[in-house]
Amino acid sequence: MSDKSAREAVGDYRYGFHDPENATIRFDKGLSEQVVRDISELKNEPEWMTDIRVKAYRRFIEMPMPSWGNSDMLNQIDFEAVTYFLRSSKGTEKDWDEVPEDIKNTFDRLGIPEAEQKWLGGVTAQYESEAVYHSIREDLEEQGVIFLDMDSGLKEYPEIVKEYFATVIPASDNKFSALNTAVWSGGSFIYVPKGVHVEMPVQAYFRINAKNMGQFERTLIIADEGSSLQYVEGCTAPTYSTESLHSAVVELIAMKGAKIRYSTVQNWSANVYNLVTKRGVAYDNATIEWVDGNIGSKLTMKYPAVLLKGEGAHAEVISVAYAGKGQHQDAGAKVHHLAPNTTSNILSKSISKNGGRSTYRGILQVTPKSHGCRSKVICDALMLDPESQSDTYPTMEVGNASADLEHEASVSKVSNDQLFYLMSRGHSEEEAMGMIVNGFFEPFTRELPMEYAVELNRLLELEMEGAIG
Amino acid sequence: MKNYPLIPLPSRSDSLWRYTSWKKIHPSEVEEMPKSNPIIYSRGEEFQIDDSNEIARSFIHSISPVCKKISLVNEGVNLDLESSGDISSGELFVESRGDSTITIRISGDSTWTGLRINGDVTGNLSVAVINEISENSNLLRCDNWKVNRNSSLELATLSVGGNLNKSDIRVELKSKGSDLRCGIASNGSRRRNDDHHIEIEHTVGYTTSSLVMHASCNDASRSIGTGMLKICEGADGSDAGQVFRNLLLSEKARAEAIPGLEVLADDVKAAHGAASAPVDKEQLFYLSSRGLSLQESSSLIVEGFLMDAFRHVKNPDVLLNLRDGLLNHLDNLITG
Repeated sequence: MSDKSAREAVGDYRYGFHDPENATIRFDKGLSEQVVRDISELKNEPEWMTDIRVKAYRRFIEMPMPSWGNSDMLNQIDFEAVTYFLRSSKGTEKDWDEVPEDIKNTFDRLGIPEAEQKWLGGVTAQYESEAVYHSIREDLEEQGVIFLDMDSGLKEYPEIVKEYFATVIPASDNKFSALNTAVWSGGSFIYVPKGVHVEMPVQAYFRINAKNMGQFERTLIIADEGSSLQYVEGCTAPTYSTESLHSAVVELIAMKGAKIRYSTVQNWSANVYNLVTKRGVAYDNATIEWVDGNIGSKLTMKYPAVLLKGEGAHAEVISVAYAGKGQHQDAGAKVHHLAPNTTSNILSKSISKNGGRSTYRGILQVTPKSHGCRSKVICDALMLDPESQSDTYPTMEVGNASADLEHEASVSKVSNDQLFYLMSRGHSEEEAMGMIVNGFFEPFTRELPMEYAVELNRLLELEMEGAIG
Repeated sequence: MKNYPLIPLPSRSDSLWRYTSWKKIHPSEVEEMPKSNPIIYSRGEEFQIDDSNEIARSFIHSISPVCKKISLVNEGVNLDLESSGDISSGELFVESRGDSTITIRISGDSTWTGLRINGDVTGNLSVAVINEISENSNLLRCDNWKVNRNSSLELATLSVGGNLNKSDIRVELKSKGSDLRCGIASNGSRRRNDDHHIEIEHTVGYTTSSLVMHASCNDASRSIGTGMLKICEGADGSDAGQVFRNLLLSEKARAEAIPGLEVLADDVKAAHGAASAPVDKEQLFYLSSRGLSLQESSSLIVEGFLMDAFRHVKNPDVLLNLRDGLLNHLDNLITG
């Protein structure tokens, strides 16, 4: 596919620009045990981390591709065509002015520094394999909040990282978590001390710039007893005719009474495979919330999960997916009720347009000793044309008689009555359709920080252009 | 050459075989083709149906010494199928025209029973399948029904017999105006494992379907309900719904509900729901306060819950047969 036809395929993707590549270190394409060891050596990692990486690499080689999801697209991934490490900056800067000019320009165009000044508690900006900029508000630092990129986290707090790394998502969990554990680079490391409430959200922004790049960030967030945190991540990449691979692992640990909200607006360009494993553990009376928006990428396979391990723990997953031409959004949620009196809510909304495919895939499990659990799952899908596809594959496994679970799902098109009503008020058909779609996603957008919600609505309006006729 | 030896063994990642694997439901070693006794049919004429590329159907076809055909034209019949010996199997073809009903009772004490049913429906057919095989038996049932233009199929299954059951029921709505109303009621006790997979395919538009599965599980029993509702490309105007409900009656009982939707047309109504809950204590209290024992009260609630799975069945004869089958079963449970 030429660059031109790729551009036609992805439409008006406003983050599709790319900058000249000024790599300070770039590995050759392809993956081997030596590449894994080289990444670890380059980062001066302790031996135990190198061992974890090497073992994970061996697991990755042994493990088969998932047999579910979109096997056709998965089998097109050429792991030998991917660059597994690319360093664009000499280090992670704390001062925005120190960031290399070209990278700074990129993030300026994405609006990151402006957002930081206005409404964020801290920011990590990751460009290719590593963080190029990192900052945290002084008052948070004084309260003992640790917010670092993952590489710095490993250097400065190796004992905490060693205690929790890969405990929620082991390398052997699936092929892509094994790959990430082997070649991870960048991501965020956050520790919120007991009783500290981080009022303003902290943000990470992930950007892939180079062609055939693999981005494998690793995020570990620990909220100690009675603390709370809101974390927001955004993702974009340029539009190329060849594919890039984004395979992240995110581990959340919410101790007794803690609360973590993790929000994502994924807007990768339509040449990115987005194969992400996200899972959190919630102990007694803790809450984990995943707010997950999937707008971009070629194939997304992502099922944010929560293990409710402590009595009274709660999980909330709100996700939306938009699948346009050539896209498959295979997303969902997994909640495992492993302790008594745990509760969960899952709300999933998807839109398929121009032959796109959206899939909800979820698991709701109640183990035999988990008394008094309650859960509700709602999946709604909207199809905007006859070429598109929508699937739902929910699973409920109930092992305790006292569990009270509900699941409902529906697939429909935009009703003519709704369109007619809005058009009779003077809106064009296109505007009316945009309003209906924004309304459909409203339960998701209202949970986002305002700037993200506004941006998401704008993105959806852009995607909806030409939806009529 | 039969297809069975050529078909690759399904893996556990295949959702159809995730909970009751092919190895588990097969009567011997999976490579073997054991000798089978014929199921005894109370009526029907000799017939032959084709082999299949699906492993369970092909296996039953390969070992079955008998295949019968029932032709129905504006009539109601009762068909008794009895298994005997160690392994017993058979095939059945049902062809109906006009308004007809058929009640199929499966009984017997074979260690393993395999039954393949194919059906072709023109007009209105109401079917009750009542599984009353011995409590130590295993049952493998595979159905394929085709519903023709402006025709309707009521397919009701009462599953109360056997120890390990696997049913794979597939219905194709192949012409405009075809309609399916499918109800499944399952009652488990002891260590019974009852696995139902129901696949409904809307091949063309303006077809309707509804599926209701209710399962009540006692002791250490387990119910599995997997549904797959496919609305094919161009099948606009389809209207389909699935509901799975589970009632768990004991600490060790388990229930799995996995409804699935694959929709490739946009002008459709497709929905599914699933719920799982314990017996409502207020209902129990109400019935107990009228002088019923706890067991009788619970049995009455279970009866109401399971019969509700047949709410779409309009034919009174079929409903009566289903109710009788369920009441007999529940009485036997109470009286031991």
